[in-house]
Amino acid sequence: MTGEKDTIVHIDNVTKRFGNVVAVDQLDMKIMAGEFVTFLGPSGCGKSTTLRMLGGFENPSEGRIVLDGVDVTSQPPNRRDVNMVFQDYALFPHMTVGQNVSFGLELKGKSRPEIERRMAELLDFLQLSGFRDRTPDQLSGGQRQRVALARALAPDPKLLLLDEPLGALDAKLRGQVQIELKDIQKRTGKTFFFVTHDQEEALTMSDRIVVMNAGRVEQSGTPEDLYFRPESRFVAEFIGETNLINGTVRGVEENAVVLDWNGLSVRGSGHGHRPAAGDNVTASLRLENVTCHNKKPANQNAVEGKVISKLFKGSRTSLDIRVGEREDSIIRAIWTLAMLPKLPMISSGLAGSRNV
Amino acid sequence: MTFWGALLQNGAYQAVANTLFKSQRRQFWILASLPLFWIFFANLGPIVEMFWIGFLDSYPPKVGHEPQFTLANWAAFFQDRVFIIPFFRTLAFSFIFTAITLLITYPVAYFLAKHVSRKNQLLFLLLLLIPFWVGEIVRTYAIMILLGNNGAVNLALKSLGLIDRPIPFMYTGFSLGVGIIYLTALYMLLPLYSALEKLPDNYLEAAADLGAGAWTRFRRITLPLSKEGIASGCTLVFLISTGYYATPVLLGGPRSTVFAETIAGFFHVAGD
Amino acid sequence: MTRNTRILMSVIYWAFIVYLFVPLALMVTMGFKDSKFIGFPIRSWTLDWYAAVIQDTQVLSVFGYSMTIAIATTILSLIIGTWVAVFLGPNQFRGKAIIFALACLPAVIPGIISAIALRIFARLIDIEPGMFAIILGHTVHNVPFVALVVMARLSTQPKSHIEAARDLGADSIVAFFRVTLPYLKPALIGAGIFCMLLSFDDFVRAFFLGGYQPTLPVLIFAKLRSGMSPEINAISTIVLIMTAILGLWAERSMRRLNKGS
Repeated sequence: MTGEKDTIVHIDNVTKRFGNVVAVDQLDMKIMAGEFVTFLGPSGCGKSTTLRMLGGFENPSEGRIVLDGVDVTSQPPNRRDVNMVFQDYALFPHMTVGQNVSFGLELKGKSRPEIERRMAELLDFLQLSGFRDRTPDQLSGGQRQRVALARALAPDPKLLLLDEPLGALDAKLRGQVQIELKDIQKRTGKTFFFVTHDQEEALTMSDRIVVMNAGRVEQSGTPEDLYFRPESRFVAEFIGETNLINGTVRGVEENAVVLDWNGLSVRGSGHGHRPAAGDNVTASLRLENVTCHNKKPANQNAVEGKVISKLFKGSRTSLDIRVGEREDSIIRAIWTLAMLPKLPMISSGLAGSRNV
Repeated sequence: MTFWGALLQNGAYQAVANTLFKSQRRQFWILASLPLFWIFFANLGPIVEMFWIGFLDSYPPKVGHEPQFTLANWAAFFQDRVFIIPFFRTLAFSFIFTAITLLITYPVAYFLAKHVSRKNQLLFLLLLLIPFWVGEIVRTYAIMILLGNNGAVNLALKSLGLIDRPIPFMYTGFSLGVGIIYLTALYMLLPLYSALEKLPDNYLEAAADLGAGAWTRFRRITLPLSKEGIASGCTLVFLISTGYYATPVLLGGPRSTVFAETIAGFFHVAGD
Repeated sequence: MTRNTRILMSVIYWAFIVYLFVPLALMVTMGFKDSKFIGFPIRSWTLDWYAAVIQDTQVLSVFGYSMTIAIATTILSLIIGTWVAVFLGPNQFRGKAIIFALACLPAVIPGIISAIALRIFARLIDIEPGMFAIILGHTVHNVPFVALVVMARLSTQPKSHIEAARDLGADSIVAFFRVTLPYLKPALIGAGIFCMLLSFDDFVRAFFLGGYQPTLPVLIFAKLRSGMSPEINAISTIVLIMTAILGLWAERSMRRLNKGS
């Protein structure tokens, strides 16, 4: 996180309804200056509506939006110091790259030399100097994305909104652009409000991720928090791949919770939660935390199991392992090819997090 | 500062814009103002006015006489043979011409959509547009040259030895039909073509595969799926063909006087 | 498709092409006939009729009159038609279907009915028969075509273009002129040429709404009523060539538009 820890945006108890549908439900959140915050969630979860309310394209049904201390709730997009990178980039097809980037500066009433200077500076910054006189249809997807970014950065907004800007890129390019984008954010020190449904994107770039579901915030925290310490079943399932274990609490120890899962004893970290014995809880066991051995090791969490199917995925193989007696006690594990064990086998692991 | 930048920063402009864009509702009505005015004033106004005059006992207004509401004009219209015969004749003519146009252009559209290469389709449509761009008068005149007693058709028939004396094509229902169809064919052809062009070949192949013969395929697949094209083509041709004035005057004869000529004649007597 | 039906269809197809082009070809040919008498056969050829037309001051002034009307009509139709399209395209409101139908009404009313209704209406609003009445009549007729073409183009413009302009500081007016209007340009060129042609070629409205000064189609009509002459062929041929060129140009710009950008 760069910059000072001032609140730049306060989403103050905002609700948005479309007819009877509640798109965003009493969202209350502060965004710090210089933060790269990502709203993550499935389509229809309210993340895009939140972004559009920040941009001024939708009016909240209730609540306020405060930008740098000023209530902008009812201000139209052209009056806000907020700029946006659109999902389809929305570059103006009849203007050159240079004209696209100057557009916002021009309308702000800047003088010609100033527009020139700032435009050249941004094109240089985003390695677009050679493309100044091209039109958008003469650019590649990655170049267009950078032009859209340059255009949105040009008026020097207090908040930059990015609406799934990597969705239109192919998988290979996406990884590279993620790094670039994070780097640009660091160098400019701008506050980025990023919206995506791609959890990998969110994990790679964000200072903070806000997971939304059905108009509400499920969890907000650093990528590590969300990955290792999900607060809800939804977050555990949505971020990364995981095994969800529904069990009954047998006992609580100092650093661990012991579960009874279909007659097997499993111990895991409670991450601060201290459920009572007899509670029904769900634990999350990350795929990569399952290790396989040919002989049962002397580990408290080791259970015997049988590989019932394997799926080759190139650099790794995913295994479905049945543990214990019951048909539905199945754990999925990720294994690198070289270590592919022989059958039968024993699996062991550590349960990650839990949820009541 | 650039023009648009200066405009947006200009105080007077900002004041005006603030009033204009004060609310969504106001913006909507400002945007709606000219279209609604135009639609009600220019599109609807003349038609309503014409109907209204149909109920007045005198038009144009005479000095010292307040026009009275009456149904007499409508009664006269339905009783007077001078009006009613051309009126129904126009409807009958238009109906027949529409049917003939459909029969002629359907195979043309089908052949064009299904048996002509993509490139030639575009070329054909382009060529088709040329006579279409040329106005009513010039095209009517071209038909006069074609069908006249010394016209191309008679010359061709004579030189083939089929006739001794020219056939009097002109000033009949026939010459009128040739002219009207010449003017309206495009309005039929284009909707038919776009309907047939969208029809996937594999529907017909599937039908053939299921044992349907050529006639069954046409009746059960092609015809129902081009129904919309037929409907819009026929509506257009019917409406447009009733509206011609110069063509019936120049190509039609005394026995094929259409309503347009009657109202025009009446209008020139009474209107001015 | 049996072989016979296919042959039959190709015969009809080619016959149709002949039907479309032979009359116009004959008309053009007749303009070069070295005789005052219209009809076949043609024994000797001349360019005299063209020379006469080009020197005929009446024809030239009528041509200019028609052109003035066409240009004025085109400008008015483009402004009103685009406005109607921008209003009816993106906005949703109650009764939109009815308003849309009324907006398209003049395109489907038979020409003669529309002409006479407008003649009566022009008297009501105190417009003398003549140039302004014709311009009004042609504009009423053309606006639906412009509106439809512009609406079609407008529907392909991504909503995000206008949002991006708004986001970068434009109000609705500036966003329209800087982003939407340039996007509509090909549609406006196509629709504009189409308006010129409709206006220039129109007979029935010009005939009923005109005063003493005839437009070109009205002049040809008047000349035709007093007898056919190769002079008319020469005038018609010039009109034909001009309209064909304009029409092909419009067609080209519309085709580019359909390919999209």
